Amino acid sequence: STAKSGSVSQPLPSALATARHIENLETVPYPEGIKSPSIDLNRNAKDGKFRYDRAFLLQFMEICKEKPDNLPPLDAIGLEPVGDQAGLAMSRGGSGR
Amino acid sequence: QEVDMQTQAESIRTVFSDPTNFNVKHPLYSPWTLWFDSPATKGRNLPQTPSSAFPQTPIPQTPGVAAAQGWMEDIKRVISFDSVEEFWGLYNNIIPPSQLPQKANYYLFKGGMLQEGIIPAWEDEANKNGGKWSIQLPRDKNRGNVDRMWLYTMLAAIGETFDPAPILSDGSGKAPKSLITGVIVSTRPQFYRLSIWTRLAPSATDEDGLRERIEGVGRHFKTSVLGFQEGQKLGGPLATEVEFLSHKDSEKKGKSARKIIV
Repeated sequence: STAKSGSVSQPLPSALATARHIENLETVPYPEGIKSPSIDLNRNAKDGKFRYDRAFLLQFMEICKEKPDNLPPLDAIGLEPVGDQAGLAMSRGGSGR
Repeated sequence: QEVDMQTQAESIRTVFSDPTNFNVKHPLYSPWTLWFDSPATKGRNLPQTPSSAFPQTPIPQTPGVAAAQGWMEDIKRVISFDSVEEFWGLYNNIIPPSQLPQKANYYLFKGGMLQEGIIPAWEDEANKNGGKWSIQLPRDKNRGNVDRMWLYTMLAAIGETFDPAPILSDGSGKAPKSLITGVIVSTRPQFYRLSIWTRLAPSATDEDGLRERIEGVGRHFKTSVLGFQEGQKLGGPLATEVEFLSHKDSEKKGKSARKIIV
């Protein structure tokens, strides 16, 4: 199929798309009130492979709300919210995986 | 040197100092891919329209993957990401488990479009010698908890804190691989299930001492992620303990299965 046909004008790439990966966590300044990533988790970090504790990660929740450019329309993959009552008729077991 | 650091720091803008024009993002230990299936994805042919066009679930062609083809047919790739910022962009624009249909699964597995794609199947090379920690929770009592439990499970996975010692080095001098290959949430009419898949499973004799490391993952899952007490009894109607089973034992469907419980 043709992913390119019918494309509309491209919006400017978002900061999310153009920002570069941090290479050294220690050079990153965080504003006052923002907790830095755990140093203990990153003592022997190599190749930009960092580990992050939950408290650090949760700080992004209210800030990073922009929809990713490459997120497909959810209804196209059958990923739609259901109300509490929807789907009650369906009741088959799982695969066990 | 101090001046250099100063200059460098001034040119670094995180999402905290500039939410719209940040120029750095926080890379994850591994890239990740979110997959999804539900009764509605079965037999669905994608893409449907040019405007909603996106690549048909591309699957790396390894022997294990070929064997899993039937299983993977209805599982749709949603998106891949490799930074903290992208994770939250996804999280804030997708529906939580409590709003999924009653027979659906999210699979968050390691690998991106270009790098070490692990598919959510036993047959994948990265999973075939492994197993899973899982817990089943009654739906009625946990509708208000499951979203937080799934979020914390994902955060421990992408933050790479399940495995206290990611020491599976391949000897190449590169950063070591961790035990975790992916995490899953399943919704069913009567219950929810959360699972953590591991690359390896302890053998009966435990000659490699893997059991302690696997149990560490299970304890972290039970206490820090799910918020239960160590030693707390969880089993009951529609509920299980936090239990580990190798994929090989799962295939035997209960016969001679050796479960580990934390």
